[in-house]
Amino acid sequence: MRTVIDRIGELLSLLQSPDFYEREEAVRELGTYNEDEAVAGLVMAMEDPDLGIRELAANLLTQMQGDIASRLLIRFLGHGDIGTRNLAAEILVKIGGDAVEPLIEDIDNDDYDIRKFIVDVLGLIRDPRAVEPLCEKLWDENGNVACSAAEALGEIGSNKAVKALMVAVERVEDARIQAVEALGKIGDPSTLETLYGMLDTDDPMILYAVLEAIGHIGQKVSVPKLLPFLDSKDDCIGETALMAIVNISLANNGELDHDLPLDKYASFLFDGIRNRNRKLTEFTLGRLNHWYGSDIVESLLDVVDSVDEEDQKRISEILEQAGASATKLILQKLPAASTAAKLIFLETLQQSVDEEMVRRLLPFARDQEPEVRRKIAQVLGVSGWPGAIEVLKKLAADAVGHVRATAYASLGWLVAEDEIDFLFKGLDDKYPDVRDSALGALIVVGSPTVVEKFSADLNCDDIERQRLAVSALGKIGDPEVVGPLLNAINHPDASLRKLAIISLGRIEQVDNVQPLILSLSDESTAVRKAAVSALIAIRGEQAVADIRFLLDDEDVWVRYHAINTIGELGNEQYAEYILPYLDDEQDVIKIAATKALAQMGSTEAIPRLNQLRQDKNKDLAEAVVKAVSDLEEIR
Amino acid sequence: MDMSMRERDGVAIVDLDGRLDLSSGTALKERVKSLFDQEKTSIHLNLSRVEFINSSGLGSMVSIMKETRLHKGRLTLSDLASYVQEIFDITQLTNIFEIFPTEKEALNSYHPVVTN
Repeated sequence: MRTVIDRIGELLSLLQSPDFYEREEAVRELGTYNEDEAVAGLVMAMEDPDLGIRELAANLLTQMQGDIASRLLIRFLGHGDIGTRNLAAEILVKIGGDAVEPLIEDIDNDDYDIRKFIVDVLGLIRDPRAVEPLCEKLWDENGNVACSAAEALGEIGSNKAVKALMVAVERVEDARIQAVEALGKIGDPSTLETLYGMLDTDDPMILYAVLEAIGHIGQKVSVPKLLPFLDSKDDCIGETALMAIVNISLANNGELDHDLPLDKYASFLFDGIRNRNRKLTEFTLGRLNHWYGSDIVESLLDVVDSVDEEDQKRISEILEQAGASATKLILQKLPAASTAAKLIFLETLQQSVDEEMVRRLLPFARDQEPEVRRKIAQVLGVSGWPGAIEVLKKLAADAVGHVRATAYASLGWLVAEDEIDFLFKGLDDKYPDVRDSALGALIVVGSPTVVEKFSADLNCDDIERQRLAVSALGKIGDPEVVGPLLNAINHPDASLRKLAIISLGRIEQVDNVQPLILSLSDESTAVRKAAVSALIAIRGEQAVADIRFLLDDEDVWVRYHAINTIGELGNEQYAEYILPYLDDEQDVIKIAATKALAQMGSTEAIPRLNQLRQDKNKDLAEAVVKAVSDLEEIR
Repeated sequence: MDMSMRERDGVAIVDLDGRLDLSSGTALKERVKSLFDQEKTSIHLNLSRVEFINSSGLGSMVSIMKETRLHKGRLTLSDLASYVQEIFDITQLTNIFEIFPTEKEALNSYHPVVTN
């Protein structure tokens, strides 16, 4: 009977097959076994002449549990082929924690290349178990190993390495720079005094490392130490010092207690923005509230295309604050700007647009980008300049719907009384948002001519146009619309009647309420309810006498609404109308009556309400308890 | 419509109570103009007690905005009731007015400009 070991043996033989598919299948099947022999087979497959098989074996090895794979792979760190060494290192990193102990056990390997690989891998795995052995490797006889040990300790980032690194900074020349960098990455503030002491070094490489490390540690108290380097004749040193200050600033929510000579570094900072350096972008835009150098605005305009949308908004806000100086520059740059930049610039200009500016913007109404044309339409409207009307009319005939929509809205803001016919054409546009904009514009204009035209539409053949007309008249809301709306109360369509009544209730100033009183008997319950609300809004308590009969309406919800509406008047004198409905057969009516009596402050209703405390309908019982409690407070 | 005035952090706040129509809109325009005459160019309108606005009221608001621009001032609105907000949305006046949900947020937006 074949055992697993027998099968693994067969597979190991197949690894020598000249046939690629046989070797590949063998590797795949070896990956399904946990036995050491199978692991060893996969490790052997890393020497396969085919790259695909080597990578397949590598992937399968990374999924292996236990340290046997790691131990075998560590041997490959000394392989003659650099590709195999690198692959072995890569797999060990992917194996991760399980590889740490075997790696540490071999960290004193006789071969310095293997020691270096082991140190590098331990750094990439970032397991704190490696800290102590790596600290010892800071003293390795081979300088490359010592450097790698310092780098690895920086990657792991454990405070436990600080002491050893501080000694290495002093005594291990080969690893001094890496040790300083590691201290920066670890970020322990107790190392700062040592680092400050190294700022007077003659070695520029060490100085760069020290400046960076101070920046990474991120303490505000370090800034005065860094400031003198901003005046350095060596630009690299100055920029490194500035970058350190940037890191400190970002670590402290942008707070710095010192002024910075940023004019000298404007190019550096704005190049950083152009190169999409997140830290430099964040720092520069954050400082601009305190820094308006003469070229800053121009630099800001130049980097608009290099930042994301959120930063574009920030730039726009900064430009708005910059005021006239920014406006002039924007107008100069606008013709050659990208579409995205144009939109930002126009948004900025919109805040301070005047007639003179508008004249200069008019040519952009012919921009090939619809978004730019749309924005121009908006800016023209915001300007309030009547001279823009003709251009807006052209934009209202634009091929693109949302350009037309914005143009119509802008015509409304300019209160273009003379263009009423033009605005009405917009109501026939094929796109709904254009029609809505035209409607909105007509509402803003709202003149007697507009009212007249909408009133005429009430009698047109198109029911939707009629509905639009009723809605528009309601929103115009001026006294002139009352007459047409009262006529609309007789419309054959109940929804239009309701709409007209609601609008009249909002307008309130209605002298002739007779049509509304007649609507209380409308066949539509929705219309009857709307009439109740409208009459109360218009006539107040005087309407109670008109609506009272609806307390006995055939529809329960009309009765409900009538009770609620009377209750909301809060006048106890109407309590007698409501009291009988505590005996209504419908619980929902009893509840409405209960609440209404409480709103009216009818303390006389308490005994009657108390009879309903134990009602089987919990909602009613709860309403009664609350009502009685409210009334008791009054009594 | 009733109007009352107060000031906070250099911003003149006008509280409106009632309906914004032709007569109240005219009164509001006069009030705002008087503020500009007193060189108060940061003006906030609290509309929490304005339940209704009609075309005439809108026209007054647009006039006030134009006046504000002429004086290089700033005008903000807050606490719009749902119907008033609906009217502003339909007419897209939300694109030319700075509207905030609350007075507090509006006043917070009045940061002084800092230059070197």
